[in-house]
Amino acid sequence: MANLPTGLISHTRKVQSLYKKALRSLENWYDRREVYRYYAVLMRKRFDDNACITDMRVAKELISKGEQELRSTAHWHPRKFPDSPGGVAYGREVPLPDWVLDYWHPLEKAQYPEYFARREQRKKEFVKLWEKQYGPSSGTPH
Amino acid sequence: MLNKTCKIYFSFFSFLSFNLFLISLFLIISEKSLIIEFYLLNLSNFTVNFLIFIDWMSTLFMSFVLFISSMVIFYSSEYMKDEMYISRFIYLIILFVISMMMMILSPNLVSILLGWDGLGLISYILVIYYQNFKSFNAGLLTALTNRIGDVALLMSISLFLEYGSWNFSSFLEFYNLKENMGLTLIFIMIAAFTKSAQIPFSSWLPAAMAAPTPVSSLVHSSTLVTAGVYLLIRFSTGFSENTMKVILIFSLLTMFMSGLGANFEFDLKKIIALSTLSQLGMMISTLALGSYDLAFFHLLIHALFKALLFMCAGSIIHNFNNCQDIRFMGGVSKLMPLTSVYFNICNLSLCGLPFLSGFYSKDLIIESFSMLNMNMYVYIIFYLSMGLTVCYSFRLLMYTFFMDFNFISLNSIGDKSEVMLKSMGILISLVIFSGTILSWLIFPIPMFIYLPFKMKILILWLIFFGIWIGCETSKFGLSYELLSLKNYNLSSFNSNMWNLPLISLSMNLYPLSVGKKLYTSFDQGWLEYYGSQKLLESFTYSSKFFQLLSKNHLKIYCLISVVWFFFFFFVDT
Repeated sequence: MANLPTGLISHTRKVQSLYKKALRSLENWYDRREVYRYYAVLMRKRFDDNACITDMRVAKELISKGEQELRSTAHWHPRKFPDSPGGVAYGREVPLPDWVLDYWHPLEKAQYPEYFARREQRKKEFVKLWEKQYGPSSGTPH
Repeated sequence: MLNKTCKIYFSFFSFLSFNLFLISLFLIISEKSLIIEFYLLNLSNFTVNFLIFIDWMSTLFMSFVLFISSMVIFYSSEYMKDEMYISRFIYLIILFVISMMMMILSPNLVSILLGWDGLGLISYILVIYYQNFKSFNAGLLTALTNRIGDVALLMSISLFLEYGSWNFSSFLEFYNLKENMGLTLIFIMIAAFTKSAQIPFSSWLPAAMAAPTPVSSLVHSSTLVTAGVYLLIRFSTGFSENTMKVILIFSLLTMFMSGLGANFEFDLKKIIALSTLSQLGMMISTLALGSYDLAFFHLLIHALFKALLFMCAGSIIHNFNNCQDIRFMGGVSKLMPLTSVYFNICNLSLCGLPFLSGFYSKDLIIESFSMLNMNMYVYIIFYLSMGLTVCYSFRLLMYTFFMDFNFISLNSIGDKSEVMLKSMGILISLVIFSGTILSWLIFPIPMFIYLPFKMKILILWLIFFGIWIGCETSKFGLSYELLSLKNYNLSSFNSNMWNLPLISLSMNLYPLSVGKKLYTSFDQGWLEYYGSQKLLESFTYSSKFFQLLSKNHLKIYCLISVVWFFFFFFVDT
């Protein structure tokens, strides 16, 4: 969802993106480094061979063929780092957002008076800084 | 420093396990079994009693469950050290063990259901212990699949009313001779299939690997999944020949499918889960062929080496910063020598290397199986699955331990975790010796096996063939054409467990969507409109009307007299 195409994408970027995806796909299949390098070089050659095509109709068709090939050879279990999106441990440890502390009960807050006093002070300073940079806030809550 | 809760329950469970083992020895030697009956409620002629059935099988199984859980608790004290709520985790494991005890000791269907439901619920909570989306999805799949089994068990409880009692063990054999118990036992079969993840309910077991590794070690390899096998063992005297054939076909298919799937899988834990599935299939097929003691023997030994296999996998995953993909691994044998030794012993035991524990059970199963007159399909699937077990084990060994190191260079991999190694060290002694000990205990008289030489040697050939294929599939060379990529459709079909996850999802999805429609249009729609709302409305309206009548208005008297006038007028005419 983060990469919704919100603008026009140039042909160069499409090719670059396809090349990167193709390399990732090769990485999934050929997991030993030297073998992967060999196939990566072959893949590079395929892209280089068509680099000087100036007829956009041909170039476009080549891209769509490439994307088709990528889809039809997509690995069923792509290599993912555990903490990256889609990885096994992604989202396993949830860091609590800072605003949770604002919802502490006053009795709970009273156990750490020094910390919360400084926190309130810093909040005020932050609002001041923000208003200085972006102008006064409208005051309406979100 | 060890967590206090871990320490207490580790010592308590070890102590209990040792004592139960001694009791089981006594029961084996004396050939006795004990039924203890508690009267929970006694109202005139209505009694609610609670039965406990103690025989060598239940005590031995319990001692193994307790031993493995004590080791897992000991192991978790280091593995889960950084968890904020480790005590909650330990208490969940304890609750799980209690549910398991309840299930093992009950000869009564209702109390079995209590234990059974407890297992399902706690396994669900344990699967979603890590609160990310993967765990939630896996947890829901686990819980919903297990619910099917719970419902099947409830149905069989209601059907058992026909026989007058839920204490099935006392009359199962008798009724089986007298009349057909088909439907009742088919529900039991379905319940056992869901817990033991047989086709078509297999997809939850690999998905449940989202749980922390100690949970996989205890719950998804040695105890929860064997509950189904144990239930089938308890009911084995009741099944008709045809039901046994159905069980055999499904279990063989599960065995073959998971063996194939493991060869295409890259997640370390999922490979071991698929291997568990394959072994469960083997246990159930042995059971379906009539040798329930052999199935039980393999169940116990499998529990030991699979629990240890998961513990070793956990240790590796811990060192690789939660990375489970075997494509990132390689050369672990140089970095973690002791863990590798443990892992390899377990893997070889799984393959049935002579004089390791797995050999005793698997060899007996295969040879007694070879003596039967079965059709060709059963033979081929069974033997191929044996070969596939060796194949994926060696593929895993090559990938993880012997090939080049493939992880990031900045790492701190090594055999550093003392507590984890200690718990694994205790278990390894049993993985090596328990086969001999148990075969002496359970089969004091050696089985007489006579086979032609070619049949005897066939399994050995298949094992060597499996080793060769396993090593070949893990090899990579520049001139090597990737067969799995060449036959993309076939390999993707096999790696997705023959599309079983899709089937299970639609299996759950369809009743859920129908349920949603019924709820919105019927419960909250028509029933609400013509049921509760309309009733309320009509009662309000009629009470208002009667209130009006009872107010003694003059115009009402006039109206009534007019009505009466007309009434008499028409009656007279």
